[in-house]
Amino acid sequence: MKQSIFAELLKLRHSRIGLVLAVLPIISLLFGCTNYYLNKGVLGNGWYSLWSQVSLFYGEFFLPILIAICCSYVCRLEHLNRNWNIILTAPVSVASVFLAKLFVVSILVMFTQTFFLGLYWLAGTLFSLPGPFPVETIGWTVRAWFATLSISALQLGISLRMRSFATPIGISLCAVIIGLGMYAANVGMFFPFSLLTIGMSVLNQDRLTDLQNILFWIVNLTFVIIFVSISIHRLKNKDIVSS
Amino acid sequence: MIKTLGLEYYKIRRKKIWIMITLMLGVEMLWACNSINHSIAKNPVYAVWESIFFDISSMNGLFMPIISAIVVSRICDMEHKGATWKMLIATNVSRGSLYAAKYICANSLLLFGILAQTVLMIIFGLIKDFPGAPPTDFLFKFIVGNLMTTLAVTALQQWISLAIKNQAFALCLGMLGGFIGMTAGFFPAAVRYIFIWSYYLDLSPVTFHFAESASFYMAQSVGVGLVLIVLTMTVLFYIAGSIHVSRQEI
Repeated sequence: MKQSIFAELLKLRHSRIGLVLAVLPIISLLFGCTNYYLNKGVLGNGWYSLWSQVSLFYGEFFLPILIAICCSYVCRLEHLNRNWNIILTAPVSVASVFLAKLFVVSILVMFTQTFFLGLYWLAGTLFSLPGPFPVETIGWTVRAWFATLSISALQLGISLRMRSFATPIGISLCAVIIGLGMYAANVGMFFPFSLLTIGMSVLNQDRLTDLQNILFWIVNLTFVIIFVSISIHRLKNKDIVSS
Repeated sequence: MIKTLGLEYYKIRRKKIWIMITLMLGVEMLWACNSINHSIAKNPVYAVWESIFFDISSMNGLFMPIISAIVVSRICDMEHKGATWKMLIATNVSRGSLYAAKYICANSLLLFGILAQTVLMIIFGLIKDFPGAPPTDFLFKFIVGNLMTTLAVTALQQWISLAIKNQAFALCLGMLGGFIGMTAGFFPAAVRYIFIWSYYLDLSPVTFHFAESASFYMAQSVGVGLVLIVLTMTVLFYIAGSIHVSRQEI
């Protein structure tokens, strides 16, 4: 498992994926800050108002698509030059190949989340917002990261199955819209993409009740287990087209 | 040239790109129809043809850049993935015509998407019983405006998709374009005109007038200046991309 993770990290060397991961949070933050600055009169809740502006586009649209890009990227090498044959004949289990990829994607997303939170703190400080930095936002960021695990597991499964780099990203865009619809219909707890909206408190900053919180973690974990199991089972039992 | 174009279609015959475009635009239509239904429920005055033109144009700002990025990436990435560039260049076809064939192929697929979207808009309007017949003037302007913006966007996307092997960059650009297209309405005109993705809204035949007393949809006349800017951007992106890719070491 450890070796698989190192191999995945090695494949990302010189890939400049960090550039993609850094640019998108910066742009969504810049837009959110501009919007906040122009509507300062209406948005009177300091740090929380700033969060509502900066996290809206990032959490709702950018992050899920960014995850899809990362997942497609970590699977890209396998789809090239019949590399699947090498991977599947290597002395590592299929499960460890998949889990290593999931681990690496989760690390990349964690980096993005931390970077985004740092930028949020910087923006709030530059705006000289009253009151201390809201520690809840750290919790929201961590919760959102946990929600991204189920999206990552799903996207990885799709990217491993499809040779195309771009199609999984298109699927992710459709899923984002479906997720918005499910959130609006109050059934967001049962769809991974809506769970991200809930986890990051993008559209509603009210505290989740204890029951909702427990449901959030359990449903997410269930999604992760289901998606991982299906993908590993498929990798073990289905033939892979390697060219 | 016709042969080269025919081969492009031949290469993507099993990729089901048109199904993907239809599905993505279908999701967009569902969202737009839902949003229009909500606004009509709140205020029946909005039950007019103009509403669907405006809503779809503003949502195209988000969807079309990403769909364009995906379509172009799929058409270009197959050459990177299959390492077929050397083989293609070795044939008796200029790089310029290969580039043109890919461009025409991608845009014809997207034109199919735009036409499908127009048909769905008409069906929705007829189902909702909007007053009057479907406005042919708006329909024509919608198709032309949408297509012109798409031509420029695909020119830019093709340049990136062919120049940089790693398709993450091309799709990241598509996503940024979608973001700018979605939020274009918030920018002042001078800033908006710089970004090609905001023209989905600027070349729309209908605009929405916000007022404290009453907001309403109104016809928007598209100036020749805007059309010229889009055409210039298309030509610039295409020529720059074609020259760059043609001179690139493979």
